[in-house]
Amino acid sequence: MSSFIVNEKCNGCLACVQNCPNRALDYRDHAGKRVLMHNMGLCARCGQCWRVCPEQAVEFRHLLESPWQEVVALGLTACRVCGEPVYTFDYGKKVSEKLRMPAEALCPAHRREKGLRVWSRIRPASPPSPGGAR
Amino acid sequence: MIVGNLKPVEEIAASVAGLKNVQVVGCGSCVSVCLSGGDREARQLADELSLPLYYPDGPPPAFAVNGIVRQCEKDMVKTYLTLPAETDAVVSLACGAGVQTLADLFSPLPVFPALNTTFLGALDEPGIWREKCHGCGDCMLSFTGSICPVARCAKSLFNGPCGGSQGGRCEVNPEIPCAWAMIYYRLKSQNRLDLLQKVNPPRDWRPAGNTGPRSRIRTGIAGSPGDSLAPSNPTS
Repeated sequence: MSSFIVNEKCNGCLACVQNCPNRALDYRDHAGKRVLMHNMGLCARCGQCWRVCPEQAVEFRHLLESPWQEVVALGLTACRVCGEPVYTFDYGKKVSEKLRMPAEALCPAHRREKGLRVWSRIRPASPPSPGGAR
Repeated sequence: MIVGNLKPVEEIAASVAGLKNVQVVGCGSCVSVCLSGGDREARQLADELSLPLYYPDGPPPAFAVNGIVRQCEKDMVKTYLTLPAETDAVVSLACGAGVQTLADLFSPLPVFPALNTTFLGALDEPGIWREKCHGCGDCMLSFTGSICPVARCAKSLFNGPCGGSQGGRCEVNPEIPCAWAMIYYRLKSQNRLDLLQKVNPPRDWRPAGNTGPRSRIRTGIAGSPGDSLAPSNPTS
């Protein structure tokens, strides 16, 4: 979805197309219609289209405050204790490959807790503070 | 791009001490790309400026974060950047051009710079920007193998190298390469060393801004030539 939006005042004069310094605007006359086209990958958001439009038809604020667009959706691994999402399946798989051992799915709080439990078994008389030993 | 560095937070805090409501305004262009003045840096700065330790004589101001894609374009800022009525001051993370544009538009509201605008540079490696251009107004890169002696020679020599160039390093700062040594090797690789036979005359520095602020007027877009130089009127 393009963030370049014109209102009903646009009369297809092409002032925006002719003045776009990055050629991010183009048009096509086809089947009795003039179609205005915008390429976000070329757009510098310089605002020339908005400045030169004689009809004030360019709603430039949409290029400044455009909505979020979903890019990709990946499956999540949850903390095995509390169920909080910790990382994606693919990320866990990559980490496991790099470590050559299975990545343990623990959220930061439960990872710290586990570390403290291990420490208390090694040095039961002097556990470190929850802030962690350095 | 224009590269800037964040000022010491103590200096910025001293500017806004005693005020109640301050807008921290990021800029979405050059200083976002050089990781010094974008939305993320504006939020980090607002958080840090909110720490009471910077204000021994009273409570810290309340900081709110705002931003726009470019602070240096008057019509765009005027149309799309709105400040709450209770704003006492603005801290701008733009370059000096952006700070002055906000100050013109929101006058008499004080606008304080959060960055030291540092240079026109290029991203040589991730996280490393280096100065490449002084904007001197009379580019001589055609004759120097596209390596600028004005910006990259510590002495801005037009007929280099100087006697202190040693092993391709600059005598002023051995950490940086000698621009004229780079020019020599670049021209040699282009088989254009004859360009170094020419003695460049003393430079006319008027195009570099030594006769006052420079302007560029694009015919067909701008109004009459005097319009862009007229002082701003915030009430108009």
